[in-house]
Amino acid sequence: MKKMKRSIITAMVAISMMMGTVSCGDDFIEREPYYLIGSENYFNSEQDYNNALIGAYDLLHATYQQVILGEIAGDNTLAGGESANDVIGWQQIDMMTHTSVNSNLKNIWDWMFSGVNRAAYILEFKDKTDFEGKSQIIAEARFLKAYYNFELLKWFGGIPLKGDTRFALGDEKTIPRSSREEVFAAIEADLIAAIPDLNVVAPQVGRASKGAAQALLGKVYLYHGADDSSKFALAAEVLEEVINSGSYSLVSDYNSIFEHEGENNSESVFEVQYTDAQGASFDCLQCVEGNVAVGFSGPRNYVGPQFTSGFSFNVPTDEAANIFEAGDLRKDVTILNMDTWAGTYGPGYNDTGNFNRKYIPRTRSSTAMGDLNLTNPNNYRAIRYSDVLLMAAEAFARTGDAAKGSLYLNTVRERAFGNASQNINGLSGTDLVNAILEERRRELFGEGHRFFDLVRTGQAASKITGFTPNKNEVFPIPLEEIQFSGNFWAQNPGY
Amino acid sequence: MKSKLFLIAFILISSFCYSQDLVVSGRVNETATGLPIPGVNVTVKNSTVGTITDMDGNFSFSVPSGSILVFSYIGFDSVEMQATSESMTVNLTENAQTLDEVVVIGYGTQRRREVTGAVSVVSSETIANLRPVRIEQALQGTVSGVNVTTQSGAPGAGLDIRIRGIATNRDASPLVLVDGYISSLSDLNFNDVESITVLKDAQAAIYGTAGANGVVLVTTKRGKKNQKLSLSYNTYLGLQETSRKLPLLNATEYALLLNESYANGGQPLPFPNPSALGVGTDWQEEVFDQGVPIVSHDISFQGGSEKTTYNVSASHLDQGGIIGGDKSHFDRNTIRLGMTADLLENLRFNSNVIYTDLNRQSFNENGLGSVLFNAISAPAIYSPYGEDGAFTVLPTGNSSIPGSNLGNEVINPLAQLANTWNDFDLRRVSGTVGLDWDVYKDLTVTTRMGFNSQDRRGRTFNPQVSYGGKVFDNVRSSVDQNAINENDYTFDAYLTYKKSLAEAHNFTATLGTTVFKTFGEGLFATGFDVPNNAWEFADISLTTGFVNAKTAGSYKYDERRLSYFARLQYDYKGRYLVSGMIRRDVSTKFGPENRVAYFPSVTGGWIISDEPFFGESKKLLSFAKLRASYGVLGNDAIRSNLYISSLNGEATYVLDGQLANGVAIGTLANPNVAWEEARKFDVGTDLRLFNDKVDIVADYFIDTREGLLIENLPVSGIVGAGGPGGQFPTVNAGTVKNSGWEFAIGYKDKIGEDFNFGINYNVTFIKNEVTEIQGAEFLQGGAFGVGQPAPTRMEVGHEMGYFYGYQTAGIFQTQAEVDAHPSQTALGAEAQPGDIRFADVNGDGVLNANDRTQIGDPIPDATMGFNLNLEWKGLDFVAYAFASLGNDMVRNYERTLTDINRHSYILDRWTGAGTSNEVPRVTTGATANNIFSNYFVEDASFLRIQNVQLGYTINPDFTKRVGFNKVRVYAGVNNLYTFTKYKGFDPGSTNFGSADNPTTLNQGIDFGFYPVPRTYMFGLNVNF
Repeated sequence: MKKMKRSIITAMVAISMMMGTVSCGDDFIEREPYYLIGSENYFNSEQDYNNALIGAYDLLHATYQQVILGEIAGDNTLAGGESANDVIGWQQIDMMTHTSVNSNLKNIWDWMFSGVNRAAYILEFKDKTDFEGKSQIIAEARFLKAYYNFELLKWFGGIPLKGDTRFALGDEKTIPRSSREEVFAAIEADLIAAIPDLNVVAPQVGRASKGAAQALLGKVYLYHGADDSSKFALAAEVLEEVINSGSYSLVSDYNSIFEHEGENNSESVFEVQYTDAQGASFDCLQCVEGNVAVGFSGPRNYVGPQFTSGFSFNVPTDEAANIFEAGDLRKDVTILNMDTWAGTYGPGYNDTGNFNRKYIPRTRSSTAMGDLNLTNPNNYRAIRYSDVLLMAAEAFARTGDAAKGSLYLNTVRERAFGNASQNINGLSGTDLVNAILEERRRELFGEGHRFFDLVRTGQAASKITGFTPNKNEVFPIPLEEIQFSGNFWAQNPGY
Repeated sequence: MKSKLFLIAFILISSFCYSQDLVVSGRVNETATGLPIPGVNVTVKNSTVGTITDMDGNFSFSVPSGSILVFSYIGFDSVEMQATSESMTVNLTENAQTLDEVVVIGYGTQRRREVTGAVSVVSSETIANLRPVRIEQALQGTVSGVNVTTQSGAPGAGLDIRIRGIATNRDASPLVLVDGYISSLSDLNFNDVESITVLKDAQAAIYGTAGANGVVLVTTKRGKKNQKLSLSYNTYLGLQETSRKLPLLNATEYALLLNESYANGGQPLPFPNPSALGVGTDWQEEVFDQGVPIVSHDISFQGGSEKTTYNVSASHLDQGGIIGGDKSHFDRNTIRLGMTADLLENLRFNSNVIYTDLNRQSFNENGLGSVLFNAISAPAIYSPYGEDGAFTVLPTGNSSIPGSNLGNEVINPLAQLANTWNDFDLRRVSGTVGLDWDVYKDLTVTTRMGFNSQDRRGRTFNPQVSYGGKVFDNVRSSVDQNAINENDYTFDAYLTYKKSLAEAHNFTATLGTTVFKTFGEGLFATGFDVPNNAWEFADISLTTGFVNAKTAGSYKYDERRLSYFARLQYDYKGRYLVSGMIRRDVSTKFGPENRVAYFPSVTGGWIISDEPFFGESKKLLSFAKLRASYGVLGNDAIRSNLYISSLNGEATYVLDGQLANGVAIGTLANPNVAWEEARKFDVGTDLRLFNDKVDIVADYFIDTREGLLIENLPVSGIVGAGGPGGQFPTVNAGTVKNSGWEFAIGYKDKIGEDFNFGINYNVTFIKNEVTEIQGAEFLQGGAFGVGQPAPTRMEVGHEMGYFYGYQTAGIFQTQAEVDAHPSQTALGAEAQPGDIRFADVNGDGVLNANDRTQIGDPIPDATMGFNLNLEWKGLDFVAYAFASLGNDMVRNYERTLTDINRHSYILDRWTGAGTSNEVPRVTTGATANNIFSNYFVEDASFLRIQNVQLGYTINPDFTKRVGFNKVRVYAGVNNLYTFTKYKGFDPGSTNFGSADNPTTLNQGIDFGFYPVPRTYMFGLNVNF
């Protein structure tokens, strides 16, 4: 009996020892994650704001696809590539057979909304910490939000909006697609709010200046004008402010613009900055710090001077290669014709022998990081001063000021021909507008504007093979997104 | 009166003895090792007369002459022998299948007859037969319900174990415990393993959180008490070669094919005189080596006194690769010390410590641009070396040079190997220390601490190299280095209380706690401009360059799990058995609201053959058990901190011409992320027939995984997770059901005195079906070709990772057939005679992406294993085979460029009406033939003769005189032959993604698997 008692006691001791480990349990499981900054505890210093702003700028790199598709979708270039199935989403857009199942369109949707959210993240916390110079940062965030929303508007029409806050999971089922008008209004409001706080000279090369925001606002008004012609006057007004600011001028040598030396020159109003200093892979194209569109546009298996090889997408059609008038110095800068060029290449799909010379790979630096196909450092000249001039010309022409319309048009032409001999005078009204639009095609060929210029001016159906009016003006909302919303969002007409 | 009776009895007994007694003596040895076995029961059949063997395995006693002696020992097959006057030598063979065998079931053991779950055991004998380089191979084909696939044939490559199918689209690997602590199977020396136990059903619920993918319990070898020191030495030398080469075109065939292809594309013929090219280079011959050695040595000694035992071993393995010489190599050294000691009468100590050191070199494999990919793509018209001895540069394409359009990716595989430099080192210490304390007779307290601590080092040198304008050109040399330290420990403390009441009601109660913590950190960096562009100088300390970007990184982690569990096992007279378990887990993988989960389960068994009514049937059916189990298990194998939204996105822009790094939200948090729940149901039966000669185990199971954790579950893009470094949240969003049945049968018998044989067969049928995905119609993954849509899907009503593409309907023979069919333009090009005819699956008269459908799945319908062992006198023979039926594989090791080399099946192509209805024409023109369709999906069913071995044990009587208990020599072949229709290198390989990013959606896509080697083995086992 005594022994039994002792056994029971030892058992009790054993159990309580075990319970000892048990009671430390709750503490054991309380551990802080290592080196992790929670997203909701940020914005405690100026540096935090700057860091978040860099995050918002990052998505500009991912706009490369809109640039290349802005050409392929229009009448300037063909998709090209290795074969008819190479990047099938681009091929379909080229043929206007694209549907709501298109991974490339989905990327545009995802990446641009990521940009919107990164900008909104800053705006959401804009009042958390005060420091000198914050208003510039907030204004840049507004500029970027407007930039990304404008991309979404161009591609998809009306989109969901959530003001100065990030979208949260579930919003896709509760926040409807705003109308085009509402999206225009939101973009314009962001830019109008940003302009007063932006410096005339951006704090760092690559960041948005006052002129960049004004030029973008002018562009948005010009697009808006297609829906509401009262906006043309607003476009003319704000674009002329850019012109009159004296901050920008055309460089004399058109060819120099697209070379490395020509980056961020006096003609650059807003420029997406790329680099070859960081490696890249196909696993994450939105992560690439190089200009992906450039590598895709290069001649396949090219051997020769000045350029390096690429994947032969985005090849200019023969028709497009012949839009230039005699004496137009832009032709040889714009089109690389392999028949006359001292280099060899392997013909790809849709081969025309033409390449988009402004944005094909140049001879690479010895310090460039791989994958070299992705890390081309060519900046994308998003808004050039000549674009501002042509937009202003168009806005004035459309509001009855043929004199200013002609003036700005001819400013561009004089540079293109090296003299005033080819100036266009005496046009007004629709004729002048059409002349300006023709000039836009020549001046801005290969720079990603063509498709949207055709759409906003109502010429798409007549110029683009396969274009269906009242359908192809915008692209379909990705099917996945319609599904995520539980059919809460309506698909664009015709898709 | 009393004395009279005594006298009568004495006379009777003594006369009995006198008249017929015989003194028998001899020794009992273990067959496998030749070592004596102490404590063997030696009895006279049908009597109570008997004795036991002493420490040296010797016995001696008097028996009636003509007696049959029965030698029995737990865990060994009993042997019956006629008593003889000469010294008898008896060999007992260990038997993993005896009903009295002790089976580990997690926090305890049970006798096999009492096990009520679906539990399989692989014995040390099987392991010794298979001599696996990696211990996982011992489960390949030997256990029903377990499918083991290779990732690659490269030395040191991993294997994947899947128990009862694939139920998650992340990591579906089972939980592995070595002597009770969480560890891994890789890096164990096979000779250190006593047994591997696989828990396949709700029996594993005692492991709660981590048991949903099944549990593998490894028991390491221990010394035996009262055993003299014994030594054993095992070695083998293997010579390896590839188990398969692909039939490819020779130079002439290639040139003829290109001529035809160019002609069909309306282009001039590139090769005016094909036959002048002869056979050309066999690139596979160039990259594959023959007679590549694999050498293994291991030595162990073990023994024990009355209170202590020890088992010490050391091993060395060195394996060369069949490709790439020293660029593909693996060596491993292990040292192990296992000890047990009875510290007090009621306090037992045990420990086991394993040290592993391994080193591996490998190269780019199984992908676009891998060495094998290049070897099968490089045309035979090119020689490997130029006249100056330098590697030939394969051109990118020049319209004036025939056969030069090889694109940006195909490079000389020999140059690639020469420029590949990497080194991986791992050093690990792992082990366990435990105490068992018998508090009093019925109550035992067990505490133990198991741990792993390892350092991994990796170094990759990327030399400055030019392949002539290819994507692998590297303009700047660099060296990547990493140092990773990983640790974990498992602490268990539990009580076991056993009680029997009225000799009928038997209870075992277990109550305890487990604490698991895993923590570590990694540091990695890259240095640029390696001196002399040479491996010898490839260390960051010597590099001089830098880049304008962040080239160093690090991480640190700490994850913990706290668990309590209780189990009650009850049986009535060992005939009716039930057990109930519950486990409570808390895991830091989940947010504060979702950390706690409970995992209950019940199992039951009924030994029908013990019922009185069974009586006469016992001759036929010696044992019959019915069992059933149901329970809930969990899986938390996801990355850390997914419930917190953190600033780990990528935010890099260029400001003032310099890279600028900022912050961005990366992984989108899901605060509600919780466990996967596996609901496991099993009914089974264990049968023994014909006096235990036939052993049958059959199970039916339904395994439903709910709340499947889908990492990176696509959500609407408006939340911004599609940006750089962004990831969608991890959501419990799917349900997958695996159901099927398993059947295993073994037959063993002997013919005459000397011929023993055993045959085992097992088969598993599994049906896999996704039954739910929330928030998405389907998930897609995998890769096919270049720029083609994802070829695999996880979708309701289909198998995990089934193949999704176009259905073919033969080849267009004539233009009339083309005209009669809907236009295929939307698929890439207008069809011509000789092109693949794609089926209008949805019947809408239009061929487009909506006509894609299920065209196969990578999950086998059935897997089976077969093995045979024969023993005749000193000779032994074993053969192991396994088969997988109904698994499909995607042929994705071919590039579609016009000028690359082709597999010889292309010789059967369409060349005119009626020539082929399977292989389309060749052309350089636009064609839709290369889009993902069932033309690229093949039946990869196979039967592999995994191991055949013939051994001879030199007569022990002879060897013992010179001090050896046993000397056995053997010769064998591993991967002798694979029967398959599959065209690629290895139908037995699978691709479950990387360790960092496991996925089941890549599974059946063949990017050019490194084939498993065929190995000719010569070996020696010696026991002292």
